[in-house]
Amino acid sequence: MANGRLRIKDISRPGDDPLVFMNMSELMPVPNLGEEPSIEPTPQKFIDKYEMSLDGHCSIGIPKPKTKEEEDHLVRRFLSGLEKLFNSEESWTFQQALRLSFDYCVKCQTCSEACHAYLASGRQEIYRPTYRAEILRRIWKKYFTPEGKLLGRFVGADVDVNWRTVTRLAELGHRCTLCRRCAQRCPMAVDNALIARELRKLFSQELGIAPMEILEKGCVQHLRVGSSTGLNPPGMLDTVAFMEEDIGDRIGKKVKIPIDKKGADILLIHNAGEFLSWPENPEAFAILFEAAGISWTLSSEPVAYDAVNYGLWNDDVELARVAARHTLAAKKLGCKKVMIGECGHATKAYVVIADRVLTGDLSSSEIQRESCLPLLWEIIRSGAIKFDPSRNNFPVTLHDPCNMVRAMGIVKPQRLALKAIAPQFREMTPNSVYNYCCGGGSGYAIIQSFNFPQWRNKAGARMKMHQTLQAFKNELDPNKVPFKYLCAPCSNCKGTIRDAITHYGLWDKYNLNYGGLVELMVNSMVDIDRPFIEYEDFH
Amino acid sequence: MGIPVYLAWLSVVVFIVMVIYRFSKFNSMPLHLRWEIYPLPLEPKHHYGGSYMEELDYVPKPRHHIRINGILDMASEVFLLKKVREYNIYGMWPFSFSMHWGIYLLFVWMILMLAEGVLNLGVIAPVTNVCGIIALIVGTFGSLGLLLKRISNSELANYTVPVDYFNLLFMLSIFATGLISWITTGQYFFDDARAFLAGVVSLQPAAVSSWTVAHFTLFELFLIYMPFSKMLHYIAKYFTIDKVFWDDILNLKGSSIDKKITSQLSGKLTWSAPHIVQGKNWAEQVGIIDGRDIK
Ligand code: SF4
Ligand code: SF4
Repeated sequence: MANGRLRIKDISRPGDDPLVFMNMSELMPVPNLGEEPSIEPTPQKFIDKYEMSLDGHCSIGIPKPKTKEEEDHLVRRFLSGLEKLFNSEESWTFQQALRLSFDYCVKCQTCSEACHAYLASGRQEIYRPTYRAEILRRIWKKYFTPEGKLLGRFVGADVDVNWRTVTRLAELGHRCTLCRRCAQRCPMAVDNALIARELRKLFSQELGIAPMEILEKGCVQHLRVGSSTGLNPPGMLDTVAFMEEDIGDRIGKKVKIPIDKKGADILLIHNAGEFLSWPENPEAFAILFEAAGISWTLSSEPVAYDAVNYGLWNDDVELARVAARHTLAAKKLGCKKVMIGECGHATKAYVVIADRVLTGDLSSSEIQRESCLPLLWEIIRSGAIKFDPSRNNFPVTLHDPCNMVRAMGIVKPQRLALKAIAPQFREMTPNSVYNYCCGGGSGYAIIQSFNFPQWRNKAGARMKMHQTLQAFKNELDPNKVPFKYLCAPCSNCKGTIRDAITHYGLWDKYNLNYGGLVELMVNSMVDIDRPFIEYEDFH
Repeated sequence: MGIPVYLAWLSVVVFIVMVIYRFSKFNSMPLHLRWEIYPLPLEPKHHYGGSYMEELDYVPKPRHHIRINGILDMASEVFLLKKVREYNIYGMWPFSFSMHWGIYLLFVWMILMLAEGVLNLGVIAPVTNVCGIIALIVGTFGSLGLLLKRISNSELANYTVPVDYFNLLFMLSIFATGLISWITTGQYFFDDARAFLAGVVSLQPAAVSSWTVAHFTLFELFLIYMPFSKMLHYIAKYFTIDKVFWDDILNLKGSSIDKKITSQLSGKLTWSAPHIVQGKNWAEQVGIIDGRDIK
């Protein structure tokens, strides 16, 4: 175990020295990975200005306090937020789940081996699922419980809160992808992912501290402009026009993309990141839905053309605001159902988590909410479209988005679809509900600030790259097998995978590409006379 | 000698009252947002981790839970400590398993002895005795093993606080005093134990060996202490599993969930980040785009 002697109390240690810094020699070995970029030291300009003393990486960029007053302000607000977190009115949303997870961990560490980040980092103590939870627990005991005040260290009330504790904790809350694999294995049903999520909530809702991409450029921009990508409604209409043209170029046929079509059965909402990074994905949806004769539409209403809901990761208020607008847009159009495109977090946020935010006329009995995967399988199963699997005759493996499998139990549709259209489909290990996170869960896919991408690639996505290389281990040679496809029906997962494949050079080394499920479906449509997937293109 | 006898009654009362109190406390917490996790044993598609959300148009379709799968799943955790056995890399399972069975059998032993006395079931005495001895042996083995494991393994020790050691020592002291009593007094130990319990029932303290008195007194103190400690995790665990991890119930308009949530949404928020407007309730917050527009 690396850094075995790092203690819980060290979170409050003064000074800029990080508690830990990942070391190349300790990272989890990955067979067939070949040469990989080394870990860059933390740039001094970051150290001078921002909180980098957790692990030399940073996702938020909290400026170091300049005065004692600023330091005290951080501490005060943190403690007041912690108190609110355990207040039934202020924080009813997860109160019961949090309380139970908080009070009854028996510290058996059964959960640790479940965590991809902990394992990939070479078992660095700070990434152990229990590390941040235990810190928070001890702080809570010390400052808010009678037994902590009375018995102190005896009951573990021994972590001091100073500004370093606060800023390090804010970062530490962002070293867990909320994949909940640890919770799945805990014999006590303790959920360290929820504790991490609630810790982030404290920062977001009380101090307004969150990675810029998640709060300010995420939810706030989503609500203000219409999309977290900055795409406004006129921009959305242009995008649709562009996609129609692009579809014509790609398949040699015209497809009309319905937008704001009143009375359509389904309002389809994509992660708007798709429009910018992978327009072929929403285009493939349009091709499939038109060919299958489905009554559907996109919306150009602000918020409702972007399925993301970043409040899922740190903010109940933002979560509720976004979910309500998605539903109101569907109501306005008179749609029966809202379906989320290939995006795991957006699907879980809207279908599961928002289920108890949307009440009365907005509830699921009034407007249904579904993942797209069952419909995609139904299109194949029903024979509504004819597919020729031989067009996808290359090795394909599947990454299950955690939010769809572990958090929603959507396991079979994507497998059945792949088995039907990809003759060389093989599972990675482990898979389905026991999968490993891609490394980009909980917003990490979109955090590009500071040196966070380095952490994401080295600790976050390493396990997924390991699994992928294992799945293709007999076909890695690009001269023998010129194309492999990692299917990830989730926008965030794709973002992470794209960056990780680039970081580790796996496209150059092995022609390992990635993409969604619908692209594979369109690629094998009998009615289309040319490939939809561009085999030479990695983007 | 009278104190342990009266303490026995007190401990049972405190234990029952506190367990009920804790149970109702957990139960009265606000309804939370859904946060289920798969595989979900109650789900008919549990064998591969599937859920009703794999189906098209699932909202109006009938859904059902298979309760027996839930019970079997909980039982495999309670009686076999399945997850610890499968996933714990620190070798805790043999000790944890033994300690837990020590506790279960200790309770069973006490109940059997009471049943013998009260219901005149002398015929089950040999079974009762074996149950008691096994409880004491495996309980001592388990609690001592866990204690040593936590002390000797730095990864575990890092997270173990003094009260955790105290709890294990407490458990060990209960089992060990019983075991010592049995070793030192042999067959008389069982007579002593029955005499002690008969004294409790009749409120007439009997003269028994001091190790036996120590054993029972510690057990009584344990009953009083347990509901205040983390050792109440069996109740907490039931709630987390059944009410959080397995709660996949949809919210439908007009349902009891709908009503509960609607009333919870009327609570006011005082979170103070800029995008939130302090003093407005949830329903009002949802209508706002950004708190800074209003402040
Ligand atoms: S979270 Fe669960 S598995 Fe992890 S240490 Fe606590 S009780 Fe053990
Ligand atoms: S939720 Fe996932 S990333 Fe977070 S601690 Fe648990 S296993 Fe690790």
